[in-house]
Amino acid sequence: MSAAPSSLATIRATARGYAPRVLQGRGWVLAALVMAPVGLSILIFTISRMRGLDANPGEALRIFHEGLVKMMLPIMALVAAPAGIREDLEQRTLPLLLVRPAPAWALPLGKGLPWFAWGAAWLILGALGLQLVGGDPTLLPGRILALVGAWWGELAFMTLLGLFFKRGTLWGALYFFLWEPLVRIFPPFLQRLTFTHHIESLAGSRAAQVQANQLLAQEQVTTHPALALLALLAFGALCWALAGWKLHRTPVGLAGSEAEG
Amino acid sequence: MISLDRASLRYGPILGLSPTTFELPDGGGITGLLGPNGAGKSSLLQLLSGLLPPSGGEVEVFGAAPFRNPAVLARLGLVPEGDRLPTGLRADRWLRMMGELSGLSGEGLKAAVVRVLATVGMSDRAHLTFARMSKGMRQRIRLAQALLHEPELLILDEPFNGLDPEARLTLMALLRDLAAKGTRILVSSHILGEIAQLTDRILLLFRGRLLAEGTVTEIRQLLDRHPVELRLTGEAQVLARWAVEQPELAALRMEEDAVVISVRSPRDILPRLQKAAAEGGIPLRALDPLDLNLDAVFQYLTKDHA
Repeated sequence: MSAAPSSLATIRATARGYAPRVLQGRGWVLAALVMAPVGLSILIFTISRMRGLDANPGEALRIFHEGLVKMMLPIMALVAAPAGIREDLEQRTLPLLLVRPAPAWALPLGKGLPWFAWGAAWLILGALGLQLVGGDPTLLPGRILALVGAWWGELAFMTLLGLFFKRGTLWGALYFFLWEPLVRIFPPFLQRLTFTHHIESLAGSRAAQVQANQLLAQEQVTTHPALALLALLAFGALCWALAGWKLHRTPVGLAGSEAEG
Repeated sequence: MISLDRASLRYGPILGLSPTTFELPDGGGITGLLGPNGAGKSSLLQLLSGLLPPSGGEVEVFGAAPFRNPAVLARLGLVPEGDRLPTGLRADRWLRMMGELSGLSGEGLKAAVVRVLATVGMSDRAHLTFARMSKGMRQRIRLAQALLHEPELLILDEPFNGLDPEARLTLMALLRDLAAKGTRILVSSHILGEIAQLTDRILLLFRGRLLAEGTVTEIRQLLDRHPVELRLTGEAQVLARWAVEQPELAALRMEEDAVVISVRSPRDILPRLQKAAAEGGIPLRALDPLDLNLDAVFQYLTKDHA
Protein backbone atom coordinates (compact mmCIF):
# COMPACT_ATOMS: atom_id res chain seq x y z
CA MET A 1 0.00 0.00 0.00
CA SER A 2 1.28 3.47 -0.87
CA ALA A 3 0.87 6.71 1.08
CA ALA A 4 -1.39 9.45 -0.22
CA PRO A 5 0.51 12.01 -2.34
CA SER A 6 0.91 15.57 -1.14
CA SER A 7 -1.02 18.43 -2.71
CA LEU A 8 2.11 19.64 -4.48
CA ALA A 9 2.87 16.17 -5.82
CA THR A 10 -0.72 15.93 -7.03
CA ILE A 11 -0.53 19.25 -8.87
CA ARG A 12 2.84 18.35 -10.38
CA ALA A 13 1.72 14.88 -11.48
CA THR A 14 -1.54 16.11 -13.00
CA ALA A 15 0.11 19.02 -14.79
CA ARG A 16 2.83 16.80 -16.21
CA GLY A 17 0.40 14.04 -17.12
CA TYR A 18 -1.96 16.29 -19.05
CA ALA A 19 0.69 18.60 -20.54
CA PRO A 20 0.70 16.77 -23.92
CA ARG A 21 -2.92 17.82 -24.41
CA VAL A 22 -1.88 21.41 -25.12
CA LEU A 23 0.03 20.28 -28.22
CA GLN A 24 -3.18 19.04 -29.81
CA GLY A 25 -5.91 20.86 -31.72
CA ARG A 26 -7.26 23.02 -28.93
CA GLY A 27 -3.79 24.16 -27.98
CA TRP A 28 -3.08 25.38 -31.50
CA VAL A 29 -6.41 27.21 -31.53
CA LEU A 30 -5.19 29.10 -28.47
CA ALA A 31 -1.96 29.94 -30.24
CA ALA A 32 -3.86 31.12 -33.31
CA LEU A 33 -6.15 33.32 -31.22
CA VAL A 34 -3.12 35.27 -30.03
CA MET A 35 -1.05 35.25 -33.14
CA ALA A 36 -3.78 35.93 -35.68
CA PRO A 37 -4.36 39.61 -34.77
CA VAL A 38 -0.70 40.19 -34.02
CA GLY A 39 0.46 38.47 -37.18
CA LEU A 40 -2.10 40.32 -39.28
CA SER A 41 -1.02 43.67 -37.91
CA ILE A 42 2.62 42.79 -38.56
CA LEU A 43 1.74 41.86 -42.13
CA ILE A 44 -0.16 45.10 -42.70
CA PHE A 45 2.66 47.06 -41.06
CA THR A 46 5.25 45.38 -43.30
CA ILE A 47 3.25 46.01 -46.47
CA SER A 48 2.77 49.65 -45.46
CA ARG A 49 6.47 50.08 -44.90
CA MET A 50 7.25 48.47 -48.26
CA ARG A 51 4.95 50.99 -49.93
CA GLY A 52 6.66 53.79 -48.10
CA LEU A 53 3.65 54.62 -45.95
CA ASP A 54 4.04 55.76 -42.36
CA ALA A 55 2.93 53.30 -39.74
CA ASN A 56 0.12 54.28 -37.42
CA PRO A 57 1.74 54.82 -34.02
CA GLY A 58 -1.47 53.83 -32.26
CA GLU A 59 -1.75 50.50 -34.06
CA ALA A 60 0.01 48.44 -31.36
CA LEU A 61 -2.13 50.00 -28.68
CA ARG A 62 -5.29 49.30 -30.64
CA ILE A 63 -4.38 45.67 -31.32
CA PHE A 64 -3.49 45.17 -27.66
CA HIS A 65 -6.69 46.62 -26.22
CA GLU A 66 -9.25 45.86 -28.90
CA GLY A 67 -7.81 42.62 -30.20
CA LEU A 68 -6.01 40.80 -27.43
CA VAL A 69 -7.60 42.12 -24.24
CA LYS A 70 -11.23 42.60 -25.22
CA MET A 71 -11.64 39.80 -27.74
CA MET A 72 -8.96 37.11 -27.79
CA LEU A 73 -8.16 36.75 -24.12
CA PRO A 74 -11.78 35.92 -23.14
CA ILE A 75 -12.13 33.58 -26.11
CA MET A 76 -8.93 31.82 -25.05
CA ALA A 77 -10.38 31.28 -21.58
CA LEU A 78 -13.65 30.04 -23.09
CA VAL A 79 -11.71 27.59 -25.28
CA ALA A 80 -9.14 26.36 -22.75
CA ALA A 81 -11.21 26.00 -19.57
CA PRO A 82 -13.47 23.21 -20.91
CA ALA A 83 -10.31 21.19 -21.61
CA GLY A 84 -9.45 21.31 -17.93
CA ILE A 85 -11.20 19.40 -15.18
CA ARG A 86 -14.56 20.03 -16.89
CA GLU A 87 -13.44 17.74 -19.71
CA ASP A 88 -13.02 14.82 -17.31
CA LEU A 89 -16.44 15.53 -15.88
CA GLU A 90 -18.07 15.45 -19.30
CA GLN A 91 -16.07 12.49 -20.61
CA ARG A 92 -16.79 10.59 -17.39
CA THR A 93 -13.13 9.96 -16.75
CA LEU A 94 -13.20 11.99 -13.53
CA PRO A 95 -13.94 8.92 -11.33
CA LEU A 96 -10.58 7.49 -12.38
CA LEU A 97 -8.94 10.53 -10.76
CA LEU A 98 -11.27 10.85 -7.79
CA VAL A 99 -10.78 7.25 -6.71
CA ARG A 100 -7.08 7.90 -6.09
CA PRO A 101 -5.90 8.95 -2.63
CA ALA A 102 -4.66 12.28 -4.04
CA PRO A 103 -6.39 15.44 -2.71
CA ALA A 104 -9.27 16.19 -5.08
CA TRP A 105 -9.05 19.94 -4.56
CA ALA A 106 -5.65 20.03 -6.29
CA LEU A 107 -6.90 18.47 -9.52
CA PRO A 108 -8.46 21.56 -11.19
CA LEU A 109 -5.27 23.55 -10.74
CA GLY A 110 -3.11 20.62 -11.85
CA LYS A 111 -5.12 20.19 -15.02
CA GLY A 112 -5.28 23.94 -15.66
CA LEU A 113 -1.58 24.68 -15.27
CA PRO A 114 -0.46 23.29 -18.65
CA TRP A 115 -3.10 25.42 -20.35
CA PHE A 116 -2.05 28.45 -18.37
CA ALA A 117 1.62 27.95 -19.25
CA TRP A 118 0.88 27.34 -22.93
CA GLY A 119 -1.45 30.34 -23.25
CA ALA A 120 0.93 32.58 -21.30
CA ALA A 121 3.81 31.65 -23.59
CA TRP A 122 1.82 32.68 -26.66
CA LEU A 123 0.58 35.85 -25.01
CA ILE A 124 4.16 36.87 -24.23
CA LEU A 125 5.08 36.11 -27.81
CA GLY A 126 2.13 38.19 -28.98
CA ALA A 127 3.12 41.13 -26.77
CA LEU A 128 6.65 40.94 -28.14
CA GLY A 129 5.24 40.80 -31.65
CA LEU A 130 3.38 44.05 -31.05
CA GLN A 131 6.74 45.74 -30.59
CA LEU A 132 7.33 45.18 -34.29
CA VAL A 133 4.38 47.40 -35.18
CA GLY A 134 5.53 50.27 -33.03
CA GLY A 135 4.72 49.24 -29.49
CA ASP A 136 6.13 51.50 -26.80
CA PRO A 137 9.07 49.59 -25.23
CA THR A 138 8.45 51.21 -21.86
CA LEU A 139 4.96 49.67 -21.76
CA LEU A 140 6.10 46.16 -22.72
CA PRO A 141 6.65 44.77 -19.18
CA GLY A 142 3.30 46.12 -18.08
CA ARG A 143 1.54 44.63 -21.11
CA ILE A 144 3.13 41.24 -20.56
CA LEU A 145 2.21 41.26 -16.87
CA ALA A 146 -1.30 42.42 -17.70
CA LEU A 147 -1.86 39.68 -20.30
CA VAL A 148 -0.39 36.88 -18.19
CA GLY A 149 -2.10 38.05 -15.01
CA ALA A 150 -5.46 38.39 -16.75
CA TRP A 151 -5.02 35.01 -18.45
CA TRP A 152 -4.37 33.43 -15.04
CA GLY A 153 -7.50 35.04 -13.61
CA GLU A 154 -9.80 34.45 -16.57
CA LEU A 155 -8.79 30.80 -17.01
CA ALA A 156 -9.35 30.14 -13.31
CA PHE A 157 -12.66 32.02 -13.42
CA MET A 158 -13.90 29.95 -16.36
CA THR A 159 -12.75 26.72 -14.69
CA LEU A 160 -14.72 27.68 -11.61
CA LEU A 161 -17.84 28.50 -13.65
CA GLY A 162 -17.48 25.15 -15.43
CA LEU A 163 -17.66 23.32 -12.12
CA PHE A 164 -20.47 25.39 -10.66
CA PHE A 165 -22.75 25.54 -13.70
CA LYS A 166 -23.61 23.10 -16.45
CA ARG A 167 -23.56 26.03 -18.86
CA GLY A 168 -20.46 27.62 -17.40
CA THR A 169 -19.18 28.63 -20.82
CA LEU A 170 -22.38 30.58 -21.50
CA TRP A 171 -22.17 32.41 -18.18
CA GLY A 172 -18.52 33.16 -18.85
CA ALA A 173 -19.29 34.54 -22.29
CA LEU A 174 -22.02 36.74 -20.84
CA TYR A 175 -19.61 38.05 -18.24
CA PHE A 176 -16.82 38.78 -20.69
CA PHE A 177 -18.88 40.25 -23.50
CA LEU A 178 -21.73 41.96 -21.66
CA TRP A 179 -20.37 42.93 -18.25
CA GLU A 180 -16.77 43.83 -19.06
CA PRO A 181 -17.57 46.40 -21.81
CA LEU A 182 -19.70 48.28 -19.30
CA VAL A 183 -16.52 49.23 -17.43
CA ARG A 184 -16.64 52.56 -19.32
CA ILE A 185 -19.85 53.60 -17.65
CA PHE A 186 -19.50 51.85 -14.31
CA PRO A 187 -19.16 53.78 -11.08
CA PRO A 188 -15.71 53.47 -9.49
CA PHE A 189 -16.41 50.46 -7.32
CA LEU A 190 -17.80 48.34 -10.16
CA GLN A 191 -14.89 49.24 -12.42
CA ARG A 192 -12.68 47.28 -10.06
CA LEU A 193 -14.83 44.20 -10.62
CA THR A 194 -13.69 43.92 -14.22
CA PHE A 195 -10.56 42.40 -15.71
CA THR A 196 -10.37 45.36 -18.08
CA HIS A 197 -9.77 47.83 -15.30
CA HIS A 198 -6.85 45.88 -13.86
CA ILE A 199 -5.37 45.18 -17.28
CA GLU A 200 -5.44 48.87 -18.12
CA SER A 201 -3.99 49.72 -14.73
CA LEU A 202 -1.05 47.44 -15.53
CA ALA A 203 -0.63 48.01 -19.24
CA GLY A 204 -1.39 51.71 -19.32
CA SER A 205 -4.69 53.37 -20.07
CA ARG A 206 -5.56 54.17 -23.64
CA ALA A 207 -7.36 57.35 -22.56
CA ALA A 208 -5.39 59.37 -25.08
CA GLN A 209 -6.74 57.27 -27.93
CA VAL A 210 -10.43 57.11 -27.08
CA GLN A 211 -13.05 59.02 -29.04
CA ALA A 212 -15.63 61.36 -27.60
CA ASN A 213 -18.31 58.68 -27.63
CA GLN A 214 -16.07 56.37 -25.60
CA LEU A 215 -15.59 58.78 -22.74
CA LEU A 216 -16.42 57.46 -19.35
CA ALA A 217 -19.79 58.33 -17.98
CA GLN A 218 -18.42 57.97 -14.49
CA GLU A 219 -15.26 59.04 -12.80
CA GLN A 220 -12.35 56.86 -13.86
CA VAL A 221 -10.58 55.24 -10.94
CA THR A 222 -6.94 54.36 -10.84
CA THR A 223 -5.35 51.35 -9.20
CA HIS A 224 -1.63 51.06 -8.61
CA PRO A 225 -0.13 48.59 -11.12
CA ALA A 226 1.26 46.40 -8.37
CA LEU A 227 -2.14 46.23 -6.72
CA ALA A 228 -3.79 45.50 -10.06
CA LEU A 229 -1.39 42.61 -10.66
CA LEU A 230 -1.96 41.37 -7.14
CA ALA A 231 -5.71 41.57 -7.66
CA LEU A 232 -5.53 39.48 -10.85
CA LEU A 233 -3.26 36.87 -9.28
CA ALA A 234 -5.26 36.71 -6.06
CA PHE A 235 -8.55 36.45 -7.93
CA GLY A 236 -7.14 33.61 -10.02
CA ALA A 237 -5.83 31.83 -6.94
CA LEU A 238 -9.20 32.26 -5.25
CA CYS A 239 -11.00 30.80 -8.27
CA TRP A 240 -8.64 27.78 -8.40
CA ALA A 241 -9.18 27.23 -4.68
CA LEU A 242 -12.95 27.49 -5.00
CA ALA A 243 -12.92 25.12 -7.98
CA GLY A 244 -10.91 22.66 -5.89
CA TRP A 245 -13.28 23.05 -2.96
CA LYS A 246 -16.28 22.50 -5.23
CA LEU A 247 -14.76 19.34 -6.69
CA HIS A 248 -13.81 18.05 -3.26
CA ARG A 249 -17.30 18.61 -1.90
CA THR A 250 -19.30 17.41 -4.90
CA PRO A 251 -20.02 13.71 -5.22
CA VAL A 252 -19.26 12.80 -8.82
CA GLY A 253 -20.37 9.36 -9.84
CA LEU A 254 -19.70 7.11 -12.79
CA ALA A 255 -22.51 8.70 -14.76
CA GLY A 256 -21.05 12.13 -14.17
CA SER A 257 -24.12 12.97 -12.13
CA GLU A 258 -24.44 14.04 -8.56
CA ALA A 259 -26.17 11.97 -5.94
CA GLU A 260 -27.73 13.19 -2.75
CA GLY A 261 -24.96 12.82 -0.24
CA MET B 1 -13.32 -5.22 5.10
CA ILE B 2 -16.65 -3.99 3.70
CA SER B 3 -19.63 -3.12 5.83
CA LEU B 4 -22.92 -1.54 4.81
CA ASP B 5 -25.45 -0.62 7.45
CA ARG B 6 -28.74 0.39 5.86
CA ALA B 7 -26.77 2.32 3.27
CA SER B 8 -28.88 3.90 0.55
CA LEU B 9 -28.27 6.15 -2.41
CA ARG B 10 -30.63 8.56 -4.12
CA TYR B 11 -30.19 10.49 -7.34
CA GLY B 12 -32.65 13.27 -6.64
CA PRO B 13 -36.08 11.65 -6.70
CA ILE B 14 -34.70 8.35 -8.03
CA LEU B 15 -33.69 5.66 -5.61
CA GLY B 16 -30.44 4.11 -6.80
CA LEU B 17 -30.01 1.75 -3.87
CA SER B 18 -32.51 0.88 -1.17
CA PRO B 19 -31.26 0.64 2.42
CA THR B 20 -28.85 -2.26 2.22
CA THR B 21 -26.99 -4.14 4.90
CA PHE B 22 -24.25 -6.68 4.37
CA GLU B 23 -20.64 -7.41 5.24
CA LEU B 24 -17.72 -8.88 3.39
CA PRO B 25 -14.98 -10.24 5.61
CA ASP B 26 -11.24 -9.68 5.24
CA GLY B 27 -9.16 -11.87 3.01
CA GLY B 28 -8.89 -12.69 -0.64
CA GLY B 29 -11.48 -14.15 -2.90
CA ILE B 30 -13.92 -13.07 -5.56
CA THR B 31 -17.43 -11.90 -4.87
CA GLY B 32 -19.84 -11.44 -7.74
CA LEU B 33 -22.35 -8.61 -7.74
CA LEU B 34 -25.22 -9.69 -9.92
CA GLY B 35 -28.28 -7.98 -11.20
CA PRO B 36 -29.94 -6.79 -14.38
CA ASN B 37 -29.27 -3.32 -15.77
CA GLY B 38 -30.58 -0.72 -13.36
CA ALA B 39 -30.49 -3.07 -10.38
CA GLY B 40 -28.21 -0.78 -8.38
CA LYS B 41 -24.87 -2.49 -8.95
CA SER B 42 -23.04 0.64 -10.04
CA SER B 43 -24.63 2.62 -7.20
CA LEU B 44 -23.33 0.10 -4.69
CA LEU B 45 -19.87 0.09 -6.24
CA GLN B 46 -19.77 3.88 -6.22
CA LEU B 47 -20.55 3.87 -2.51
CA LEU B 48 -17.83 1.32 -1.84
CA SER B 49 -15.21 3.05 -3.95
CA GLY B 50 -15.83 6.41 -2.30
CA LEU B 51 -17.11 8.20 -5.38
CA LEU B 52 -20.45 8.95 -3.75
CA PRO B 53 -21.42 9.25 -0.09
CA PRO B 54 -24.50 7.35 1.03
CA SER B 55 -27.78 9.28 1.15
CA GLY B 56 -28.62 7.35 4.30
CA GLY B 57 -27.04 4.73 6.52
CA GLU B 58 -23.33 3.98 6.72
CA VAL B 59 -20.70 2.56 4.43
CA GLU B 60 -17.38 1.42 5.79
CA VAL B 61 -14.45 0.03 3.87
CA PHE B 62 -11.39 -0.98 5.89
CA GLY B 63 -13.20 0.39 8.94
CA ALA B 64 -13.79 3.93 7.64
CA ALA B 65 -16.12 5.87 5.36
CA PRO B 66 -14.54 5.81 1.91
CA PHE B 67 -15.86 9.10 0.43
CA ARG B 68 -12.82 11.38 -0.20
CA ASN B 69 -10.88 9.37 2.38
CA PRO B 70 -7.26 8.95 1.23
CA ALA B 71 -6.56 6.25 3.82
CA VAL B 72 -9.27 4.06 2.29
CA LEU B 73 -8.68 5.04 -1.34
CA ALA B 74 -5.00 4.11 -1.06
CA ARG B 75 -6.07 0.52 -0.39
CA LEU B 76 -8.64 0.03 -3.15
CA GLY B 77 -8.64 0.05 -6.92
CA LEU B 78 -11.62 0.72 -9.16
CA VAL B 79 -12.23 -0.26 -12.77
CA PRO B 80 -15.34 1.71 -13.71
CA GLU B 81 -17.76 0.53 -16.36
CA GLY B 82 -17.04 1.35 -19.99
CA ASP B 83 -13.87 2.03 -21.89
CA ARG B 84 -13.61 5.77 -21.49
CA LEU B 85 -10.14 7.19 -21.06
CA PRO B 86 -8.82 10.73 -21.42
CA THR B 87 -8.41 11.68 -25.05
CA GLY B 88 -5.07 12.38 -26.60
CA LEU B 89 -2.81 10.78 -24.00
CA ARG B 90 -0.35 7.91 -24.21
CA ALA B 91 -1.12 4.92 -22.03
CA ASP B 92 2.31 4.64 -20.38
CA ARG B 93 2.45 8.34 -19.47
CA TRP B 94 -1.10 8.31 -18.21
CA LEU B 95 -0.37 5.26 -16.06
CA ARG B 96 2.66 7.04 -14.69
CA MET B 97 0.46 9.95 -13.68
CA MET B 98 -2.11 7.66 -12.09
CA GLY B 99 0.68 5.97 -10.16
CA GLU B 100 1.87 9.32 -8.86
CA LEU B 101 -1.69 10.17 -7.83
CA SER B 102 -1.68 6.91 -5.88
CA GLY B 103 1.42 8.01 -3.98
CA LEU B 104 4.05 6.13 -5.96
CA SER B 105 7.28 7.79 -7.03
CA GLY B 106 10.79 7.14 -8.29
CA GLU B 107 11.88 3.61 -9.00
CA GLY B 108 8.82 2.18 -7.29
CA LEU B 109 6.61 4.00 -9.75
CA LYS B 110 8.62 2.83 -12.76
CA ALA B 111 8.54 -0.74 -11.52
CA ALA B 112 4.81 -0.56 -10.86
CA VAL B 113 4.06 0.68 -14.39
CA VAL B 114 6.22 -2.05 -15.92
CA ARG B 115 4.60 -4.66 -13.67
CA VAL B 116 0.98 -3.76 -14.42
CA LEU B 117 1.60 -3.44 -18.15
CA ALA B 118 3.09 -6.93 -18.11
CA THR B 119 0.21 -8.20 -15.98
CA VAL B 120 -2.41 -7.01 -18.49
CA GLY B 121 -0.28 -7.95 -21.50
CA MET B 122 0.20 -4.42 -22.81
CA SER B 123 3.95 -3.92 -22.41
CA ASP B 124 4.60 -3.63 -26.11
CA ARG B 125 1.66 -1.34 -26.87
CA ALA B 126 1.82 1.09 -23.97
CA HIS B 127 3.28 3.83 -26.15
CA LEU B 128 0.03 4.09 -28.12
CA THR B 129 -2.47 6.86 -27.51
CA PHE B 130 -5.88 5.78 -26.27
CA ALA B 131 -7.45 6.83 -29.56
CA ARG B 132 -5.38 4.19 -31.36
CA MET B 133 -6.33 1.38 -28.99
CA SER B 134 -9.08 -1.17 -29.41
CA LYS B 135 -11.81 -1.49 -26.82
CA GLY B 136 -10.15 -4.55 -25.33
CA MET B 137 -6.81 -2.76 -25.08
CA ARG B 138 -8.41 0.21 -23.33
CA GLN B 139 -10.12 -2.15 -20.92
CA ARG B 140 -6.77 -3.68 -20.07
CA ILE B 141 -5.28 -0.26 -19.42
CA ARG B 142 -8.21 0.56 -17.15
CA LEU B 143 -7.49 -2.59 -15.22
CA ALA B 144 -3.80 -1.73 -15.12
CA GLN B 145 -4.45 1.67 -13.52
CA ALA B 146 -6.40 -0.02 -10.75
CA LEU B 147 -3.55 -2.44 -10.01
CA LEU B 148 -0.73 0.11 -9.90
CA HIS B 149 -0.71 0.52 -6.12
CA GLU B 150 -1.43 -3.17 -5.42
CA PRO B 151 -4.83 -2.60 -3.80
CA GLU B 152 -6.19 -4.93 -1.18
CA LEU B 153 -9.68 -4.48 -2.61
CA LEU B 154 -10.27 -4.42 -6.35
CA ILE B 155 -13.68 -3.29 -7.58
CA LEU B 156 -14.66 -3.94 -11.19
CA ASP B 157 -17.89 -2.68 -12.71
CA GLU B 158 -19.02 -4.80 -15.67
CA PRO B 159 -15.42 -5.52 -16.73
CA PHE B 160 -16.35 -8.08 -19.37
CA ASN B 161 -18.51 -5.77 -21.46
CA GLY B 162 -17.21 -5.49 -24.98
CA LEU B 163 -14.44 -8.02 -24.58
CA ASP B 164 -13.99 -10.83 -27.06
CA PRO B 165 -14.11 -14.39 -25.70
CA GLU B 166 -10.35 -14.74 -25.52
CA ALA B 167 -9.98 -11.46 -23.64
CA ARG B 168 -12.71 -12.55 -21.24
CA LEU B 169 -10.91 -15.75 -20.43
CA THR B 170 -7.64 -13.88 -19.99
CA LEU B 171 -9.29 -11.40 -17.64
CA MET B 172 -10.95 -14.17 -15.66
CA ALA B 173 -7.64 -15.97 -15.27
CA LEU B 174 -6.03 -12.74 -14.15
CA LEU B 175 -8.73 -12.08 -11.56
CA ARG B 176 -8.45 -15.61 -10.22
CA ASP B 177 -4.70 -15.18 -9.96
CA LEU B 178 -5.05 -11.89 -8.07
CA ALA B 179 -7.61 -13.42 -5.74
CA ALA B 180 -5.31 -16.36 -5.07
CA LYS B 181 -2.61 -13.90 -4.06
CA GLY B 182 -4.86 -12.35 -1.45
CA THR B 183 -6.67 -9.53 -3.24
CA ARG B 184 -10.35 -9.24 -2.40
CA ILE B 185 -12.21 -8.74 -5.68
CA LEU B 186 -15.73 -7.44 -6.10
CA VAL B 187 -16.92 -7.78 -9.67
CA SER B 188 -20.30 -6.77 -11.05
CA SER B 189 -22.04 -8.16 -14.06
CA HIS B 190 -25.51 -8.60 -15.46
CA ILE B 191 -24.41 -11.76 -17.25
CA LEU B 192 -24.78 -14.65 -14.88
CA GLY B 193 -22.53 -17.04 -16.75
CA GLU B 194 -19.56 -14.73 -16.34
CA ILE B 195 -19.91 -14.59 -12.58
CA ALA B 196 -20.65 -18.30 -12.32
CA GLN B 197 -17.32 -19.00 -14.05
CA LEU B 198 -15.47 -16.78 -11.59
CA THR B 199 -17.04 -17.50 -8.25
CA ASP B 200 -20.06 -18.92 -6.52
CA ARG B 201 -20.03 -16.22 -3.86
CA ILE B 202 -22.59 -13.69 -5.00
CA LEU B 203 -24.60 -10.68 -3.99
CA LEU B 204 -27.84 -10.44 -5.90
CA LEU B 205 -29.31 -7.00 -6.53
CA PHE B 206 -32.62 -6.14 -8.12
CA ARG B 207 -34.31 -2.76 -8.39
CA GLY B 208 -32.01 -1.22 -5.85
CA ARG B 209 -32.47 -4.00 -3.30
CA LEU B 210 -30.10 -6.66 -2.14
CA LEU B 211 -32.17 -9.79 -2.70
CA ALA B 212 -29.75 -12.40 -1.49
CA GLU B 213 -26.15 -13.11 -0.62
CA GLY B 214 -24.21 -16.31 -0.33
CA THR B 215 -23.25 -19.15 -2.62
CA VAL B 216 -25.49 -20.28 -5.43
CA THR B 217 -26.44 -23.31 -3.38
CA GLU B 218 -27.17 -21.26 -0.27
CA ILE B 219 -29.36 -18.90 -2.20
CA ARG B 220 -31.12 -21.80 -3.86
CA GLN B 221 -31.95 -23.14 -0.43
CA LEU B 222 -33.74 -19.90 0.35
CA LEU B 223 -36.19 -20.65 -2.38
CA ASP B 224 -38.39 -23.10 -0.56
CA ARG B 225 -41.45 -22.09 -2.46
CA HIS B 226 -39.71 -22.51 -5.79
CA PRO B 227 -39.52 -26.15 -6.84
CA VAL B 228 -36.32 -27.61 -8.20
CA GLU B 229 -36.57 -29.43 -11.49
CA LEU B 230 -34.95 -32.85 -11.70
CA ARG B 231 -34.76 -35.05 -14.75
CA LEU B 232 -34.95 -38.74 -13.93
CA THR B 233 -33.77 -40.84 -16.86
CA GLY B 234 -34.90 -44.44 -17.07
CA GLU B 235 -38.24 -46.19 -17.48
CA ALA B 236 -40.46 -43.14 -17.43
CA GLN B 237 -43.70 -44.85 -16.43
CA VAL B 238 -42.18 -46.53 -13.38
CA LEU B 239 -40.29 -43.45 -12.35
CA ALA B 240 -43.47 -41.35 -12.64
CA ARG B 241 -45.39 -43.81 -10.54
CA TRP B 242 -42.73 -43.55 -7.82
CA ALA B 243 -42.66 -39.76 -8.05
CA VAL B 244 -46.38 -39.17 -7.57
CA GLU B 245 -46.17 -40.92 -4.22
CA GLN B 246 -43.65 -38.39 -2.91
CA PRO B 247 -45.09 -35.56 -0.78
CA GLU B 248 -42.56 -33.03 -2.13
CA LEU B 249 -43.77 -33.38 -5.72
CA ALA B 250 -45.09 -30.15 -7.21
CA ALA B 251 -45.30 -31.01 -10.90
CA LEU B 252 -44.43 -33.77 -13.30
CA ARG B 253 -43.71 -33.86 -17.03
CA MET B 254 -43.14 -36.92 -19.17
CA GLU B 255 -40.33 -37.10 -21.72
CA GLU B 256 -39.06 -39.92 -23.89
CA ASP B 257 -37.07 -42.23 -21.58
CA ALA B 258 -37.29 -39.71 -18.77
CA VAL B 259 -39.57 -37.91 -16.40
CA VAL B 260 -39.03 -34.33 -15.24
CA ILE B 261 -40.26 -33.67 -11.76
CA SER B 262 -40.55 -30.42 -9.85
CA VAL B 263 -39.98 -30.96 -6.16
CA ARG B 264 -39.84 -28.83 -3.07
CA SER B 265 -37.17 -29.49 -0.48
CA PRO B 266 -34.85 -31.51 -2.71
CA ARG B 267 -32.66 -32.28 0.31
CA ASP B 268 -35.49 -34.47 1.64
CA ILE B 269 -36.42 -36.29 -1.53
CA LEU B 270 -32.94 -36.89 -2.93
CA PRO B 271 -31.83 -39.38 -0.25
CA ARG B 272 -35.03 -41.39 -0.73
CA LEU B 273 -34.54 -41.31 -4.48
CA GLN B 274 -30.96 -42.52 -4.20
CA LYS B 275 -31.97 -45.22 -1.75
CA ALA B 276 -34.78 -46.45 -3.97
CA ALA B 277 -32.47 -46.56 -6.97
CA ALA B 278 -29.75 -48.36 -5.04
CA GLU B 279 -32.19 -50.97 -3.80
CA GLY B 280 -33.54 -51.50 -7.32
CA GLY B 281 -36.92 -50.10 -6.48
CA ILE B 282 -36.85 -47.74 -9.45
CA PRO B 283 -35.08 -48.12 -12.82
CA LEU B 284 -33.07 -44.90 -12.61
CA ARG B 285 -30.17 -44.50 -15.04
CA ALA B 286 -29.37 -40.81 -14.54
CA LEU B 287 -30.36 -37.87 -12.38
CA ASP B 288 -29.90 -34.32 -13.68
CA PRO B 289 -30.83 -31.19 -11.75
CA LEU B 290 -32.13 -28.82 -14.44
CA ASP B 291 -32.27 -25.51 -12.68
CA LEU B 292 -29.74 -25.65 -9.89
CA ASN B 293 -27.65 -22.99 -11.58
CA LEU B 294 -27.19 -19.29 -11.32
CA ASP B 295 -29.58 -18.39 -14.11
CA ALA B 296 -32.41 -20.25 -12.46
CA VAL B 297 -31.72 -18.70 -9.08
CA PHE B 298 -31.60 -15.27 -10.63
CA GLN B 299 -34.85 -15.74 -12.53
CA TYR B 300 -36.70 -17.07 -9.52
CA LEU B 301 -35.58 -14.30 -7.23
CA THR B 302 -36.18 -11.46 -9.63
CA LYS B 303 -39.57 -12.85 -10.67
CA ASP B 304 -40.55 -12.91 -7.05
CA HIS B 305 -39.69 -9.25 -6.52
CA ALA B 306 -40.88 -7.90 -9.85
